[in-house]
Amino acid sequence: MLAVLVLWALPRPSAGEDRVIVRGNYYREASTRVLQPEVDVEVDVPDERLSLGTAYVLDAISSASIASGTAQVTGGDQVFTEIRHEVSGRVGSRLGEWALGGSFRYSTETDYIARGVNVGASRDLLQRSMTLGLSYAYNFDRVYRIQANTRVRAPWCGGSIDVDRCRSDGRGDGSNLHQVHYVAATYAHAWHRTLLGMFTAEVARSRGPQDNPYRGAQIPTSEVELHPLSRTRMALSGSARWAVPRTPLVIEPRYRFTADSWLIRTHAIDPRIHVRVLDHLRLRARYRYYRQTASFICLDEGADVMDDGASFYCSTADGSFATADPKMGAFHSHTPGIQLVLELDAIASVRGLAWLEGGWLEATYNHVFQTNRYGNARLGALALSLAF
Amino acid sequence: MFRTSPALPRSSALVLGLALCTSACVTVTPAERRQLSTPEMTPATDAEEEVWHTHVEAAREAGFGGHGSAGGGCGCG
Repeated sequence: MLAVLVLWALPRPSAGEDRVIVRGNYYREASTRVLQPEVDVEVDVPDERLSLGTAYVLDAISSASIASGTAQVTGGDQVFTEIRHEVSGRVGSRLGEWALGGSFRYSTETDYIARGVNVGASRDLLQRSMTLGLSYAYNFDRVYRIQANTRVRAPWCGGSIDVDRCRSDGRGDGSNLHQVHYVAATYAHAWHRTLLGMFTAEVARSRGPQDNPYRGAQIPTSEVELHPLSRTRMALSGSARWAVPRTPLVIEPRYRFTADSWLIRTHAIDPRIHVRVLDHLRLRARYRYYRQTASFICLDEGADVMDDGASFYCSTADGSFATADPKMGAFHSHTPGIQLVLELDAIASVRGLAWLEGGWLEATYNHVFQTNRYGNARLGALALSLAF
Repeated sequence: MFRTSPALPRSSALVLGLALCTSACVTVTPAERRQLSTPEMTPATDAEEEVWHTHVEAAREAGFGGHGSAGGGCGCG
């Protein structure tokens, strides 16, 4: 959600327009399918000095039963579907060289309630050639577990906390409160009339239950998944956009490095090429390479544990921590992707279609090739945006 | 608690510092920004897509950020 704040603080070509975006996202891998429709509306009242926005997102997640330990293809007998609803509201203001923003997000599903607030400010410098931004977010979530036999919802405080001691109120080790404090600093600069650079530094500190209450059945050495109750993470990322002179090309290299207190380090290289194929038709091709090391939970198992593609679990030698989360192991992935954007100005001059002016239609497809138990995945999206 | 290789953050900081020093005062006037205002040169046009990618990556990867996201960490979703 904060991406909206950080990126919205930067100048947009469509700023000053009221806009609605309807979007359908799709994700599919061997055992999970996600359908995610969303609608986002932003209006200026009366101009960019005050902008209000709201969004609604529905997540329909169909999975093979986690507790069964199987990875049946979606559509099998043990598939369950979970629904998540998310609403958010945001307010932004551009006052001279300053942009200020704030937002609130509320999300609910059967076993997880998430709430988040964030605030951000940015300042334009050097005739708006440079933008410096700072954002802070606070998430405060409540984690629950649906009992397999009774379907009763009970608070979950983490695998290391006795379920009888776990409360659904208050804070601390006997509470199901999951908190995240997050700070991001952003620097964006037009270094040349054809070159834009951007750097971001982010730090997040989370406290509370961070293990999955349903994965215990997949760990022979422990009854439950046992992750630490606190985690500190940092991320450094940089990107640039270069419009190649006398061509319709924009080249966009991206890189991100993260490290955390669970000893996981990640690298993501994500170069993209944008091509204006026709006056109102843009094409973007991307290739992303992602690599991560294993967490400390898996280091006692020898060198970086590689998921064998069928099952995954590891634990510390003293038994204090155990996991069946493929994200805790080492793996890498390759993601090629393509996106087409049709700017509807192309047909807005047709009689009766003037309302399409400023609108666009976007289609995106990414294919993830990865070495862990999740297997290869497909990500797609269709979006329509209209100015009004 | 961070036990990352010390060489990587140091070299990253050096590259970042050099980049900032050499570019800190570059000014592109409004009249020169025609190309910078196109959608393909504007990071904000990707905001909606970045939120979706944040959602997927938070559920499937241990890394975070890069999209300006808070992330969660439990992988329950």
